[in-house]
Amino acid sequence: MAKSKLKKTFLDPLGKDNPVFVQILGICSTLAVTNKLDNTMVMVLGVMFTTALSSWTLSIMRKWIPSRIRMMVETMVIATYVIIVDIALKAYYPEMWKQLGPYVGLIITNCIVMGRVEAFALQNKPFLSLVDGLASGMGYAYVLLIIAFFRELLGTGTLWGYQILGSWWTSWAIMIMPPGGFFMLAIFIWVVREAFIKEENNG
Amino acid sequence: MGNLLFPLAVFFAAIFTNNILLTNYLGMCSFLSVSKELETSAGLGIAVTFVMAVTTALNWLAYEYLLVPFNLEYLRFIVFIIVIAAFVQLIEMIIERYSEGLYFSLGIFLPLITVNCAILGASLFMVIREYSFMTSFFFGLGSGLGWLMAIMAMAGIRVRLKTAKIPYGLEGAGIALIIAGFMAMAFMGFNGMITIS
Amino acid sequence: MKSQSFYAKRINPIIFMVAVTVVCILLTAALHLSTLELVQENERFFLWRSVLDAGGITHEGTPASVNDLYKKYVTQEDNHYLIKTDDGVTRFVFATEGPGLWGIISIMVGFEDDLKTLSGVSIVSQNETPGLGARIEEPWFTAQFVGKQGPFRLVEEGTSSMADEIDAITGATRTSESFRNIMNRLKVEDGNSVGRN
Repeated sequence: MAKSKLKKTFLDPLGKDNPVFVQILGICSTLAVTNKLDNTMVMVLGVMFTTALSSWTLSIMRKWIPSRIRMMVETMVIATYVIIVDIALKAYYPEMWKQLGPYVGLIITNCIVMGRVEAFALQNKPFLSLVDGLASGMGYAYVLLIIAFFRELLGTGTLWGYQILGSWWTSWAIMIMPPGGFFMLAIFIWVVREAFIKEENNG
Repeated sequence: MGNLLFPLAVFFAAIFTNNILLTNYLGMCSFLSVSKELETSAGLGIAVTFVMAVTTALNWLAYEYLLVPFNLEYLRFIVFIIVIAAFVQLIEMIIERYSEGLYFSLGIFLPLITVNCAILGASLFMVIREYSFMTSFFFGLGSGLGWLMAIMAMAGIRVRLKTAKIPYGLEGAGIALIIAGFMAMAFMGFNGMITIS
Repeated sequence: MKSQSFYAKRINPIIFMVAVTVVCILLTAALHLSTLELVQENERFFLWRSVLDAGGITHEGTPASVNDLYKKYVTQEDNHYLIKTDDGVTRFVFATEGPGLWGIISIMVGFEDDLKTLSGVSIVSQNETPGLGARIEEPWFTAQFVGKQGPFRLVEEGTSSMADEIDAITGATRTSESFRNIMNRLKVEDGNSVGRN
């Protein structure tokens, strides 16, 4: 019984209840960093780390948090984990840190982190919350990596900085600019909903 | 060279050429979910503008006089969030006390504003770009107005789309993102209108 | 009884919040202080590497190589860096900065003996759009300045031919323009003084 709940907690955010294309959360960073694969990788690892640990920590604290200041406490804990990521990057991967700029700090207000805490961690046990946080982060991660794959490839002809498409390809510069981000995400949601969710609803 | 010229340039840039939502992607979540109706969009937009303008100014003061003198810049995330959350909480209490009507219509938005990444983002940008106090305030105000403009435009379009046939896959968020993409493209046309140099 | 619940409702949350804040600040401060040296070393590495790049001195990119070569060839004067190579060539490297699209762009600009011809340009820090404006850090962009003389004019990417023409970055018009402005504003009088227009 507990095992199947664990399985459900882990699998839901990956597909049925995906934070990005089902719950429509975490959009800001999805659009901002997905114009390059290496940026995206660092960002999703940061979000996975933060969501998992914040959910876990706040789940442990859940019985003592006064309801009036609930959001401030959540934000405080989330902010601390994010700062840890920020400082770690700055010290050990300074080049990457320079590229991510203000977006690392914006993991704090990434709706996914806060959303999972509110919707799950505050009503569930710590270990389960950790799993939920981790799975949500992973659900977010693969969506972003797919979008980044297309945006970088079509936008600059490279993947992870390595030139893939030769000079015969005229880069769709629009892909790495803001509108490209919006369109790619819309297409992604469209494909997923038509292909998978519609079937589920009909079947 | 007027001291007021740079803040004004930043103000207009924040609305048009560097729109915090369409260029910097901040504040998307509430943008996508609230923009279905014109009135609610206006309400949220005005609230965001107000909070953004004031908190950018407050955070500038906190940064200059509290963090920098003690070499505590790395604590800015924590401090900025406390300032924003405390300010919103304060506003909520004031509105609740003095205007039932306003609280009823605006009240639900206030927690949404605390986690609006655009508000924190504005303060973080101000630090990175090393703006002065005046410039920061105008930057915050302009960013808020830019956000308001974007959400109002989006709501206007979505209201009209209510009677249009949209593919199942695109309903809701999908079509909103496509609209946002076109709006972002349109705003790119403002490029070069204002050069800050 | 009533006063107890009053106490609990107002004061407890504040105490809790303060406690949580203190713990968070302590954790953050501890991590920050323990990595401080490493961070400063990184920053110095970036700075020295930029000076070497602008001064046209090849290095291996490793901290060891950069440190060695810097100590060997560079002396830091009042407002510039003096480079004397083994072949007796003298170069001057100046630090300058200016507003980019998103934040301040800091660069090192190296001049040959005549203080007109450039020996190199290197980016110390920038915050431009990844994939677009941030491409100013790509080797081809900074390398194109070598041997040229200002004031510079921007031309379409890939078409520069004259000594004062610089390829802009496609899709990053404003960052390119900001960069050009920073370069053109740097005014070098003689080896000892530098001013900005």
